[in-house]
Amino acid sequence: MKLREHAYDWLAWLLIGAVPLLIFWQNATSLTEQSVASGGPMSNAAAYPAIIAWILLGLTAINALRILAGRISQHSPLDPTPTTRLALIATVLFVAYLLCLGWLGYYIATPVLLTLLFAMLGLGPIASLAGAVAATLIVAAVFEGLLNVVLPLGIFNFTLFG
Amino acid sequence: MFDLLLEGAPLYFSPASVLLTVLGIIGGLVIGVLPGLGPLMGIVLLLPVAFHLEPIPAMAMLIAVYVGGSAGGSISAILLRIPGTPLAAATLFDGYPLAQKGRSQDAIGLSITASSLGGLVAGIVLIFFSPVLADFALNFAPPEYAAMALLGLLTIAVVSEGSAIKGMLAGGLGLAVATVGTDEFTQAYRYTFGTINLTSGPNLVAVVVGLFALSELFVQIEGGNFRDRPQIQKLRISFRAFRLIVNHRWNVVRSALLGTGLGAIPGAGGDVSAFVSYAVARRLASEEEAYGEGAEGGVVATEAANNGTCGGALIPTLSLGIPGDASTAVLLGALFLLGFFPGPELFQYHADVAGGIFLAYLASNVVLIVLGIVLVPFFGTVLKVPKAWLLPLVLLLSTMGTYALQNSVFDLWVMLAFGGIGYVLRKAHYPLAPIIIGMILGPVLENNFRRALLLSRDGPMIFLERPISATILAIAAVMLVYVTITTVRPRKRS
Repeated sequence: MKLREHAYDWLAWLLIGAVPLLIFWQNATSLTEQSVASGGPMSNAAAYPAIIAWILLGLTAINALRILAGRISQHSPLDPTPTTRLALIATVLFVAYLLCLGWLGYYIATPVLLTLLFAMLGLGPIASLAGAVAATLIVAAVFEGLLNVVLPLGIFNFTLFG
Repeated sequence: MFDLLLEGAPLYFSPASVLLTVLGIIGGLVIGVLPGLGPLMGIVLLLPVAFHLEPIPAMAMLIAVYVGGSAGGSISAILLRIPGTPLAAATLFDGYPLAQKGRSQDAIGLSITASSLGGLVAGIVLIFFSPVLADFALNFAPPEYAAMALLGLLTIAVVSEGSAIKGMLAGGLGLAVATVGTDEFTQAYRYTFGTINLTSGPNLVAVVVGLFALSELFVQIEGGNFRDRPQIQKLRISFRAFRLIVNHRWNVVRSALLGTGLGAIPGAGGDVSAFVSYAVARRLASEEEAYGEGAEGGVVATEAANNGTCGGALIPTLSLGIPGDASTAVLLGALFLLGFFPGPELFQYHADVAGGIFLAYLASNVVLIVLGIVLVPFFGTVLKVPKAWLLPLVLLLSTMGTYALQNSVFDLWVMLAFGGIGYVLRKAHYPLAPIIIGMILGPVLENNFRRALLLSRDGPMIFLERPISATILAIAAVMLVYVTITTVRPRKRS
């Protein structure tokens, strides 16, 4: 069954195959409403993306045939490794971090994320906490202190080097 | 040629540029030594920092990371039999056996010296050829630029690792992503889905960091072994390699020139040139030199070639604005975002910047030879840092670096989205470099394509009527036919 042994190939196919459809849909709606989906090269903002969309569509069609005909030599099955679950948990933690970053601010959200990640990857609790605090402060010192970047302040409006 | 260097000297020889070259080489070597990371990752992580610096110090730092990272991969190949980067894969053949014979320091010394000398030879070629190529490109008008951008993209897509169709799909995806934002001609919002954050298009750095750094983190976490500490024999500083390299002087020059030539072809890459140079050196070697069993010449050939490729890849990048590989694509993007447009205009209107970049490249290779040897004991320690420490730190640097560009959390979501896309594409064996190159060449291709059509009053024949653009398109067509034939033929045979 080609679906199983080329699972990631099909996922990539779906991902890239969706792009031309999005382009055609936007050309027919948003760009037409803005009156830039027709006319000469100056006024037709939809023409060039449409060419790319047609090329992508052609290539995705060829690629689908190649996968179906077994012409792709490298398999890409969805085979989880013993640590795939960790990668998924890390992703969820990172999404939670992004959601909280603006609200809690850099100095609260970052050490929490790092401590959890360090601990998840097998470091002891003290090492995880100390490493997280040290990394948070060093990165903040570089970005805020040296590069004058305003890191997310959060509800407590807290900064150390800014 | 020397005028450029003279013009660039005041810009480059500032304390900031020299200090950042030194730091860039150290950072590049460290990231090159760590298996799984590499020069591209180093450039990607430091890209956000670069935008807070003056253009030449910023480029000096990024180029130094590129040079150091390309050389650093050989150290883990020699000591652990794991190439730090794909560029050092061929260094395994003789580097590791040489280390097994108790000559780790000689092997590392030779690899660093050969890398540095290879880079310097490539630097000389770069300095001579780039202005000539840029001068020729002055004859280009919109049809030629459009054809050249198409050829560059096509070359990288078909030569990249993986199948040609996957490369072209990745390139097409990059071109599509590049159309998101405000259309330069009509000022219309394209594919922004009503989000104000996308009116300037997705941030290139966020896309690069997501595709390369974040997806690499996912892959590394899946790989496990977070607390492993490899056993490495104690290393000392030794300058013996300076003496040894003299015996291989012609090997260095030949391999460096091969690397430079292959590097100048967009997409060929340092790993390819290292294997080609190794094969050539092996064929020309005397019988006493047992290649594959710890021959000094093998290490010299691969390392001189892969660092020569860096200089070669900078030739089309700087003179035509067509990147030679993924790392130079990101360097090109950096140059764009710092306000300079690579190509003939760079040499015509910003000769000092071009000269400064040349000097930064040459200086990086000089610094490499010194620091590479002096810091050998330190690299042994770096290799013992477990992944449990490294991975969260890379994530933090990627995140804050991307955020710092525009103080935008939205960019972090873009980074995460492209991290996911990069992960899926990696798993499906798609090359990622064509996406970035598509994003960089996309606006060049579109603007010149539309301008050319405007000049011809919509007639597409303008691309074939002009000799240079017709020739470039003919080369692209031949390449497509060749790729199609080579894709179909092996299957028929089997």
